[in-house]
Amino acid sequence: MRKRLLQFLFRAESDAWLTILRVGLGVQITFYSLSLRNDWNYLLAGTSGLINRNLTEALLSVESHFVPRLGWFVALGERIGVQEQIVLSAAWICLLGAGCGLLIGFTCRFSAILAWLLHLCAAKSGAFFAYGADNFTTIGLFYLMLSPLPDRYSLDWQLGLRPKNQQFLGFWHRVLQLHLCVIYFFSGFTKSLGSGWWDGSSLWRALIRPPFNIIDPEILVRCKYLFPIAGVTIWVLEVSYPLFVWSSKTRKIWLICICAMHAAIGVTMGMYLFALIMIVLNVAAFGPDFARAEPARTNLLPQETGS
Amino acid sequence: MLATYLHLAGIEVGYGYFAPNVPGTYKLVFELHYPDGRVEYEVPRVNSAAAASRFTGLLDQIGRTKYDALREILVKMLAQSVWGEHPHVKTIRAVLGSMRLPTITEFERGKRESYEFLYAYDFSLRDAPREPEIPKEH
Repeated sequence: MRKRLLQFLFRAESDAWLTILRVGLGVQITFYSLSLRNDWNYLLAGTSGLINRNLTEALLSVESHFVPRLGWFVALGERIGVQEQIVLSAAWICLLGAGCGLLIGFTCRFSAILAWLLHLCAAKSGAFFAYGADNFTTIGLFYLMLSPLPDRYSLDWQLGLRPKNQQFLGFWHRVLQLHLCVIYFFSGFTKSLGSGWWDGSSLWRALIRPPFNIIDPEILVRCKYLFPIAGVTIWVLEVSYPLFVWSSKTRKIWLICICAMHAAIGVTMGMYLFALIMIVLNVAAFGPDFARAEPARTNLLPQETGS
Repeated sequence: MLATYLHLAGIEVGYGYFAPNVPGTYKLVFELHYPDGRVEYEVPRVNSAAAASRFTGLLDQIGRTKYDALREILVKMLAQSVWGEHPHVKTIRAVLGSMRLPTITEFERGKRESYEFLYAYDFSLRDAPREPEIPKEH
Protein backbone atom coordinates (compact mmCIF):
# COMPACT_ATOMS: atom_id res chain seq x y z
CA MET A 1 0.00 0.00 0.00
CA ARG A 2 2.77 2.37 1.04
CA LYS A 3 4.75 1.42 -2.05
CA ARG A 4 1.79 2.09 -4.34
CA LEU A 5 1.23 5.44 -2.68
CA LEU A 6 4.88 6.37 -3.18
CA GLN A 7 4.71 5.23 -6.80
CA PHE A 8 1.63 7.35 -7.29
CA LEU A 9 3.19 10.45 -5.72
CA PHE A 10 6.73 10.11 -7.07
CA ARG A 11 6.29 8.58 -10.51
CA ALA A 12 8.95 9.17 -13.17
CA GLU A 13 7.75 12.11 -15.14
CA SER A 14 8.45 14.28 -18.15
CA ASP A 15 8.88 17.97 -17.42
CA ALA A 16 6.35 19.00 -20.10
CA TRP A 17 3.82 20.00 -17.41
CA LEU A 18 6.43 22.26 -15.80
CA THR A 19 7.09 24.00 -19.11
CA ILE A 20 3.36 24.66 -19.53
CA LEU A 21 3.08 25.95 -15.96
CA ARG A 22 6.15 28.19 -16.28
CA VAL A 23 5.20 29.73 -19.62
CA GLY A 24 1.51 30.02 -18.63
CA LEU A 25 2.33 31.78 -15.37
CA GLY A 26 4.80 33.99 -17.22
CA VAL A 27 2.00 35.13 -19.51
CA GLN A 28 -0.36 35.51 -16.54
CA ILE A 29 2.06 37.65 -14.49
CA THR A 30 2.95 39.77 -17.52
CA PHE A 31 -0.72 40.46 -18.32
CA TYR A 32 -1.51 41.02 -14.64
CA SER A 33 1.25 43.64 -14.37
CA LEU A 34 0.33 45.37 -17.61
CA SER A 35 -3.39 45.42 -16.78
CA LEU A 36 -2.69 47.33 -13.56
CA ARG A 37 0.09 49.60 -14.83
CA ASN A 38 -2.05 52.78 -14.59
CA ASP A 39 -3.58 51.98 -11.21
CA TRP A 40 -0.78 50.14 -9.40
CA ASN A 41 0.35 52.99 -7.17
CA TYR A 42 -3.19 54.33 -6.71
CA LEU A 43 -4.47 50.95 -5.46
CA LEU A 44 -1.47 50.12 -3.30
CA ALA A 45 -0.33 53.44 -1.82
CA GLY A 46 -0.15 53.84 1.95
CA THR A 47 -1.94 57.11 2.45
CA SER A 48 -2.57 58.69 -0.94
CA GLY A 49 -4.26 55.68 -2.53
CA LEU A 50 -7.86 54.72 -3.00
CA ILE A 51 -7.86 52.51 0.11
CA ASN A 52 -5.11 53.05 2.65
CA ARG A 53 -2.70 50.12 2.31
CA ASN A 54 -1.84 50.40 6.02
CA LEU A 55 -5.43 49.44 6.90
CA THR A 56 -5.31 46.36 4.66
CA GLU A 57 -1.98 45.29 6.12
CA ALA A 58 -3.20 45.89 9.68
CA LEU A 59 -6.14 43.57 8.99
CA LEU A 60 -3.72 41.03 7.50
CA SER A 61 -1.63 41.18 10.67
CA VAL A 62 -4.65 40.06 12.67
CA GLU A 63 -4.33 36.74 10.84
CA SER A 64 -0.55 36.59 10.64
CA HIS A 65 2.38 38.96 10.97
CA PHE A 66 4.52 36.87 8.64
CA VAL A 67 2.58 37.06 5.38
CA PRO A 68 4.63 39.11 2.87
CA ARG A 69 3.33 42.59 2.10
CA LEU A 70 4.43 45.68 0.24
CA GLY A 71 4.64 47.60 3.51
CA TRP A 72 7.86 45.70 4.30
CA PHE A 73 9.53 47.04 1.17
CA VAL A 74 8.14 50.54 1.72
CA ALA A 75 9.51 50.55 5.29
CA LEU A 76 12.88 49.35 4.00
CA GLY A 77 12.85 52.09 1.37
CA GLU A 78 12.08 54.74 3.98
CA ARG A 79 15.15 53.68 5.97
CA ILE A 80 17.40 54.34 3.00
CA GLY A 81 15.55 57.45 1.90
CA VAL A 82 13.54 56.04 -1.03
CA GLN A 83 10.01 57.36 -1.43
CA GLU A 84 7.00 55.06 -1.30
CA GLN A 85 5.98 55.81 -4.89
CA ILE A 86 9.42 54.77 -6.15
CA VAL A 87 9.36 51.55 -4.12
CA LEU A 88 5.91 50.67 -5.48
CA SER A 89 6.98 51.43 -9.06
CA ALA A 90 10.12 49.33 -8.58
CA ALA A 91 7.97 46.45 -7.30
CA TRP A 92 5.79 46.70 -10.43
CA ILE A 93 8.83 46.72 -12.74
CA CYS A 94 10.36 43.73 -10.92
CA LEU A 95 7.07 41.82 -11.15
CA LEU A 96 6.84 42.50 -14.87
CA GLY A 97 10.48 41.46 -15.25
CA ALA A 98 9.82 38.25 -13.31
CA GLY A 99 6.87 37.50 -15.61
CA CYS A 100 9.05 37.97 -18.69
CA GLY A 101 11.80 35.87 -17.06
CA LEU A 102 9.34 33.01 -16.56
CA LEU A 103 8.07 33.38 -20.09
CA ILE A 104 11.46 32.80 -21.68
CA GLY A 105 12.83 30.64 -18.90
CA PHE A 106 15.68 32.90 -17.90
CA THR A 107 16.77 32.53 -14.25
CA CYS A 108 13.70 30.33 -13.78
CA ARG A 109 14.00 29.71 -10.04
CA PHE A 110 14.75 33.33 -9.17
CA SER A 111 11.98 34.58 -11.48
CA ALA A 112 9.48 32.13 -9.96
CA ILE A 113 10.34 33.15 -6.39
CA LEU A 114 10.31 36.86 -7.25
CA ALA A 115 6.99 36.59 -9.11
CA TRP A 116 5.42 34.62 -6.23
CA LEU A 117 6.72 37.07 -3.61
CA LEU A 118 5.75 40.30 -5.38
CA HIS A 119 2.40 39.01 -6.60
CA LEU A 120 1.59 37.77 -3.10
CA CYS A 121 2.64 41.12 -1.61
CA ALA A 122 0.41 42.99 -4.06
CA ALA A 123 -2.52 40.63 -3.52
CA LYS A 124 -2.25 40.87 0.28
CA SER A 125 -1.54 44.60 0.49
CA GLY A 126 -4.38 45.24 -1.92
CA ALA A 127 -6.62 42.52 -0.51
CA PHE A 128 -9.76 44.64 -0.92
CA PHE A 129 -9.12 44.59 -4.68
CA ALA A 130 -8.11 40.94 -4.96
CA TYR A 131 -10.32 38.21 -6.39
CA GLY A 132 -10.21 34.54 -7.36
CA ALA A 133 -7.65 34.93 -10.13
CA ASP A 134 -5.11 36.20 -7.59
CA ASN A 135 -5.57 33.15 -5.35
CA PHE A 136 -5.11 30.76 -8.25
CA THR A 137 -2.06 32.68 -9.46
CA THR A 138 -0.54 32.37 -5.97
CA ILE A 139 -1.30 28.63 -5.98
CA GLY A 140 0.36 28.18 -9.39
CA LEU A 141 3.42 30.26 -8.48
CA PHE A 142 3.79 28.46 -5.14
CA TYR A 143 4.02 25.07 -6.88
CA LEU A 144 6.20 26.45 -9.66
CA MET A 145 8.86 27.85 -7.34
CA LEU A 146 9.03 24.57 -5.40
CA SER A 147 9.30 22.41 -8.53
CA PRO A 148 12.67 21.32 -9.96
CA LEU A 149 13.49 24.11 -12.41
CA PRO A 150 14.67 24.68 -15.08
CA ASP A 151 12.68 22.65 -17.59
CA ARG A 152 14.17 21.54 -20.91
CA TYR A 153 12.51 24.28 -23.00
CA SER A 154 13.81 27.13 -20.85
CA LEU A 155 16.64 29.45 -21.74
CA ASP A 156 18.41 28.29 -18.58
CA TRP A 157 18.51 24.72 -19.98
CA GLN A 158 20.02 26.03 -23.20
CA LEU A 159 22.65 27.77 -21.08
CA GLY A 160 23.57 24.44 -19.53
CA LEU A 161 21.77 24.62 -16.20
CA ARG A 162 20.13 21.42 -14.97
CA PRO A 163 17.60 20.87 -12.18
CA LYS A 164 18.31 19.22 -8.87
CA ASN A 165 15.91 16.91 -7.01
CA GLN A 166 14.31 15.44 -10.14
CA GLN A 167 12.28 13.03 -8.00
CA PHE A 168 10.07 15.95 -6.98
CA LEU A 169 9.01 16.59 -10.59
CA GLY A 170 6.32 13.93 -10.36
CA PHE A 171 5.43 14.84 -6.79
CA TRP A 172 4.58 18.49 -7.48
CA HIS A 173 2.69 17.47 -10.59
CA ARG A 174 0.57 15.12 -8.47
CA VAL A 175 0.00 17.83 -5.86
CA LEU A 176 -1.23 20.21 -8.56
CA GLN A 177 -3.52 17.53 -10.00
CA LEU A 178 -4.98 16.64 -6.62
CA HIS A 179 -5.40 20.28 -5.67
CA LEU A 180 -7.41 20.99 -8.83
CA CYS A 181 -9.63 18.01 -8.09
CA VAL A 182 -10.37 19.38 -4.61
CA ILE A 183 -11.05 22.86 -6.03
CA TYR A 184 -13.49 21.66 -8.69
CA PHE A 185 -15.26 19.17 -6.46
CA PHE A 186 -16.06 21.75 -3.79
CA SER A 187 -16.85 24.47 -6.32
CA GLY A 188 -19.31 22.18 -8.12
CA PHE A 189 -20.73 20.74 -4.91
CA THR A 190 -21.40 24.21 -3.44
CA LYS A 191 -23.06 25.30 -6.69
CA SER A 192 -25.30 22.21 -6.65
CA LEU A 193 -26.69 23.39 -3.28
CA GLY A 194 -28.05 26.59 -4.85
CA SER A 195 -31.34 26.45 -6.71
CA GLY A 196 -30.03 29.07 -9.15
CA TRP A 197 -27.61 26.59 -10.69
CA TRP A 198 -30.48 24.18 -11.41
CA ASP A 199 -32.88 26.63 -13.04
CA GLY A 200 -30.26 28.75 -14.82
CA SER A 201 -30.95 31.95 -12.88
CA SER A 202 -27.42 32.03 -11.42
CA LEU A 203 -25.91 32.01 -14.89
CA TRP A 204 -28.27 34.78 -15.96
CA ARG A 205 -27.38 36.84 -12.87
CA ALA A 206 -23.65 36.25 -13.40
CA LEU A 207 -23.90 37.52 -16.98
CA ILE A 208 -25.97 40.66 -16.27
CA ARG A 209 -24.16 41.60 -13.06
CA PRO A 210 -21.94 44.68 -13.45
CA PRO A 211 -19.09 44.86 -14.34
CA PHE A 212 -19.38 41.45 -16.04
CA ASN A 213 -22.35 42.46 -18.18
CA ILE A 214 -20.47 42.82 -21.43
CA ILE A 215 -23.14 40.98 -23.45
CA ASP A 216 -26.40 42.85 -23.96
CA PRO A 217 -29.14 41.19 -21.84
CA GLU A 218 -31.47 41.57 -24.84
CA ILE A 219 -29.24 39.06 -26.65
CA LEU A 220 -28.93 36.82 -23.59
CA VAL A 221 -32.67 36.61 -23.06
CA ARG A 222 -33.07 35.01 -26.49
CA CYS A 223 -31.04 32.06 -25.18
CA LYS A 224 -33.05 31.72 -21.98
CA TYR A 225 -33.85 28.05 -22.60
CA LEU A 226 -30.15 27.24 -22.57
CA PHE A 227 -29.50 28.68 -19.10
CA PRO A 228 -30.85 25.74 -17.05
CA ILE A 229 -28.94 23.26 -19.23
CA ALA A 230 -25.73 25.30 -19.03
CA GLY A 231 -26.13 25.86 -15.27
CA VAL A 232 -26.49 22.15 -14.52
CA THR A 233 -23.72 21.28 -16.98
CA ILE A 234 -21.30 23.59 -15.18
CA TRP A 235 -21.72 22.14 -11.70
CA VAL A 236 -21.89 18.56 -13.00
CA LEU A 237 -18.63 19.10 -14.90
CA GLU A 238 -17.01 20.52 -11.79
CA VAL A 239 -18.25 18.05 -9.22
CA SER A 240 -17.39 15.05 -11.43
CA TYR A 241 -13.97 16.42 -12.41
CA PRO A 242 -12.09 14.28 -9.83
CA LEU A 243 -13.79 11.16 -11.17
CA PHE A 244 -13.42 11.60 -14.90
CA VAL A 245 -10.17 13.54 -15.33
CA TRP A 246 -8.05 10.62 -14.09
CA SER A 247 -9.31 8.06 -16.57
CA SER A 248 -7.51 8.15 -19.91
CA LYS A 249 -10.86 7.46 -21.64
CA THR A 250 -12.66 10.52 -20.25
CA ARG A 251 -9.76 12.87 -19.49
CA LYS A 252 -9.75 14.41 -22.95
CA ILE A 253 -13.42 15.36 -22.98
CA TRP A 254 -13.36 16.65 -19.37
CA LEU A 255 -10.27 18.73 -19.93
CA ILE A 256 -11.65 20.22 -23.13
CA CYS A 257 -15.02 20.97 -21.51
CA ILE A 258 -13.46 22.59 -18.42
CA CYS A 259 -11.09 24.71 -20.54
CA ALA A 260 -14.00 25.68 -22.83
CA MET A 261 -16.00 26.70 -19.77
CA HIS A 262 -13.19 28.96 -18.55
CA ALA A 263 -12.66 30.39 -22.02
CA ALA A 264 -16.38 31.17 -22.15
CA ILE A 265 -16.17 32.90 -18.75
CA GLY A 266 -13.29 34.98 -20.08
CA VAL A 267 -15.09 35.98 -23.27
CA THR A 268 -18.62 36.52 -21.93
CA MET A 269 -17.75 38.12 -18.58
CA GLY A 270 -14.48 39.83 -19.40
CA MET A 271 -12.61 37.84 -16.72
CA TYR A 272 -9.59 37.22 -18.92
CA LEU A 273 -7.02 36.78 -16.16
CA PHE A 274 -9.25 34.34 -14.30
CA ALA A 275 -9.88 32.34 -17.47
CA LEU A 276 -6.20 32.31 -18.35
CA ILE A 277 -4.93 31.08 -14.99
CA MET A 278 -7.54 28.32 -14.81
CA ILE A 279 -6.72 27.09 -18.30
CA VAL A 280 -2.99 27.20 -17.52
CA LEU A 281 -3.42 25.19 -14.29
CA ASN A 282 -5.67 22.62 -16.00
CA VAL A 283 -3.45 22.15 -19.04
CA ALA A 284 -0.33 21.95 -16.85
CA ALA A 285 -1.98 19.40 -14.55
CA PHE A 286 -3.61 17.10 -17.09
CA GLY A 287 -2.58 18.34 -20.54
CA PRO A 288 0.67 16.36 -20.88
CA ASP A 289 -1.15 13.12 -19.89
CA PHE A 290 -3.86 13.95 -22.39
CA ALA A 291 -1.34 14.51 -25.18
CA ARG A 292 0.46 11.26 -24.44
CA ALA A 293 -1.13 8.26 -26.12
CA GLU A 294 1.34 5.86 -24.57
CA PRO A 295 2.61 6.84 -21.14
CA ALA A 296 6.18 7.20 -22.28
CA ARG A 297 8.02 8.27 -19.19
CA THR A 298 11.24 10.06 -19.46
CA ASN A 299 13.84 9.36 -16.90
CA LEU A 300 15.33 12.72 -16.12
CA LEU A 301 17.86 11.65 -13.59
CA PRO A 302 20.38 14.43 -13.53
CA GLN A 303 23.24 13.78 -15.85
CA GLU A 304 24.95 16.85 -14.64
CA THR A 305 23.80 19.06 -11.84
CA GLY A 306 24.05 22.74 -11.73
CA SER A 307 21.84 25.71 -11.19
CA MET B 1 2.01 29.24 11.54
CA LEU B 2 -0.86 27.48 9.79
CA ALA B 3 -2.50 30.79 8.84
CA THR B 4 0.81 31.99 7.39
CA TYR B 5 1.22 28.82 5.33
CA LEU B 6 -2.35 29.07 4.01
CA HIS B 7 -1.68 32.61 2.81
CA LEU B 8 1.69 31.74 1.28
CA ALA B 9 0.18 28.84 -0.66
CA GLY B 10 -2.91 30.79 -1.72
CA ILE B 11 -5.29 28.36 -0.03
CA GLU B 12 -6.72 30.56 2.73
CA VAL B 13 -10.10 30.94 1.02
CA GLY B 14 -12.74 28.45 -0.09
CA TYR B 15 -13.63 27.61 -3.65
CA GLY B 16 -17.32 28.48 -3.78
CA TYR B 17 -17.11 31.16 -6.44
CA PHE B 18 -20.60 32.34 -7.40
CA ALA B 19 -21.98 29.57 -5.19
CA PRO B 20 -24.38 28.49 -3.93
CA ASN B 21 -26.04 31.39 -5.75
CA VAL B 22 -24.77 34.50 -7.52
CA PRO B 23 -25.07 37.45 -5.14
CA GLY B 24 -26.23 40.93 -6.09
CA THR B 25 -23.84 43.83 -6.20
CA TYR B 26 -23.53 47.28 -4.67
CA LYS B 27 -23.20 50.86 -5.80
CA LEU B 28 -21.64 53.79 -3.99
CA VAL B 29 -22.46 57.34 -5.04
CA PHE B 30 -21.09 60.52 -3.53
CA GLU B 31 -23.17 63.69 -3.30
CA LEU B 32 -20.78 66.63 -3.38
CA HIS B 33 -22.19 69.72 -1.66
CA TYR B 34 -20.45 72.99 -2.58
CA PRO B 35 -20.50 76.18 -0.46
CA ASP B 36 -22.69 77.93 -3.07
CA GLY B 37 -25.40 75.28 -2.72
CA ARG B 38 -24.50 73.31 -5.86
CA VAL B 39 -24.76 69.54 -5.65
CA GLU B 40 -22.82 67.19 -7.93
CA TYR B 41 -22.76 63.43 -8.06
CA GLU B 42 -19.57 61.44 -8.33
CA VAL B 43 -18.41 57.84 -8.16
CA PRO B 44 -14.88 56.72 -7.25
CA ARG B 45 -12.80 56.24 -10.38
CA VAL B 46 -9.92 54.06 -11.48
CA ASN B 47 -7.98 54.25 -14.72
CA SER B 48 -8.40 50.82 -16.28
CA ALA B 49 -11.04 48.16 -16.87
CA ALA B 50 -8.97 45.67 -14.89
CA ALA B 51 -8.96 47.93 -11.86
CA ALA B 52 -12.67 48.69 -12.34
CA SER B 53 -13.61 45.02 -12.01
CA ARG B 54 -11.42 44.81 -8.92
CA PHE B 55 -13.14 47.91 -7.51
CA THR B 56 -16.47 46.09 -7.73
CA GLY B 57 -15.01 43.49 -5.36
CA LEU B 58 -14.27 46.29 -2.90
CA LEU B 59 -17.87 47.54 -3.07
CA ASP B 60 -19.11 44.00 -2.45
CA GLN B 61 -16.92 43.78 0.65
CA ILE B 62 -18.16 47.17 1.86
CA GLY B 63 -21.74 46.06 1.37
CA ARG B 64 -21.38 42.64 2.93
CA THR B 65 -19.09 43.25 5.89
CA LYS B 66 -20.60 42.53 9.30
CA TYR B 67 -18.50 45.28 10.84
CA ASP B 68 -20.11 48.71 10.66
CA ALA B 69 -16.90 50.41 11.76
CA LEU B 70 -14.94 48.82 8.90
CA ARG B 71 -17.65 49.80 6.40
CA GLU B 72 -17.53 53.39 7.63
CA ILE B 73 -13.73 53.54 7.44
CA LEU B 74 -13.68 52.17 3.88
CA VAL B 75 -16.38 54.59 2.71
CA LYS B 76 -14.51 57.43 4.40
CA MET B 77 -11.31 56.53 2.55
CA LEU B 78 -13.13 56.51 -0.75
CA ALA B 79 -14.72 59.86 0.15
CA GLN B 80 -11.25 61.26 0.84
CA SER B 81 -10.07 60.20 -2.62
CA VAL B 82 -13.07 61.98 -4.17
CA TRP B 83 -12.34 65.00 -1.98
CA GLY B 84 -8.84 65.15 -3.34
CA GLU B 85 -10.26 65.63 -6.83
CA HIS B 86 -12.85 68.19 -5.65
CA PRO B 87 -11.06 70.26 -3.00
CA HIS B 88 -13.71 73.01 -2.87
CA VAL B 89 -16.47 70.74 -1.68
CA LYS B 90 -18.02 71.63 1.67
CA THR B 91 -19.58 68.31 2.61
CA ILE B 92 -19.85 64.89 1.04
CA ARG B 93 -22.72 62.47 1.48
CA ALA B 94 -21.88 58.88 0.58
CA VAL B 95 -24.86 56.71 -0.33
CA LEU B 96 -24.44 52.95 -0.52
CA GLY B 97 -27.12 50.91 -2.23
CA SER B 98 -27.56 47.29 -3.20
CA MET B 99 -28.43 46.46 -6.79
CA ARG B 100 -31.36 44.15 -7.34
CA LEU B 101 -31.03 42.25 -10.60
CA PRO B 102 -34.19 41.30 -12.51
CA THR B 103 -35.04 37.68 -13.23
CA ILE B 104 -35.36 36.63 -16.88
CA THR B 105 -39.17 36.84 -16.65
CA GLU B 106 -39.02 40.28 -15.05
CA PHE B 107 -36.56 41.43 -17.71
CA GLU B 108 -38.90 40.27 -20.47
CA ARG B 109 -41.65 42.32 -18.84
CA GLY B 110 -39.47 45.42 -19.05
CA LYS B 111 -38.10 45.52 -15.52
CA ARG B 112 -34.46 46.51 -15.18
CA GLU B 113 -32.00 46.57 -12.27
CA SER B 114 -33.09 48.63 -9.29
CA TYR B 115 -31.31 49.97 -6.23
CA GLU B 116 -32.17 49.66 -2.60
CA PHE B 117 -30.85 52.23 -0.16
CA LEU B 118 -28.63 50.69 2.51
CA TYR B 119 -26.51 53.31 4.25
CA ALA B 120 -25.61 56.97 4.02
CA TYR B 121 -22.65 58.73 5.60
CA ASP B 122 -22.08 62.47 5.85
CA PHE B 123 -18.53 63.79 5.84
CA SER B 124 -17.16 67.28 6.28
CA LEU B 125 -13.59 68.42 6.50
CA ARG B 126 -13.73 69.41 10.15
CA ASP B 127 -16.31 67.00 11.54
CA ALA B 128 -15.94 63.35 12.12
CA PRO B 129 -18.50 61.37 10.14
CA ARG B 130 -21.86 61.22 11.84
CA GLU B 131 -23.66 58.02 12.62
CA PRO B 132 -24.83 56.36 9.42
CA GLU B 133 -28.50 56.24 8.54
CA ILE B 134 -29.59 52.65 8.54
CA PRO B 135 -33.03 52.10 7.08
CA LYS B 136 -33.53 48.57 8.31
CA GLU B 137 -31.84 45.52 9.69
CA HIS B 138 -29.88 43.36 7.23
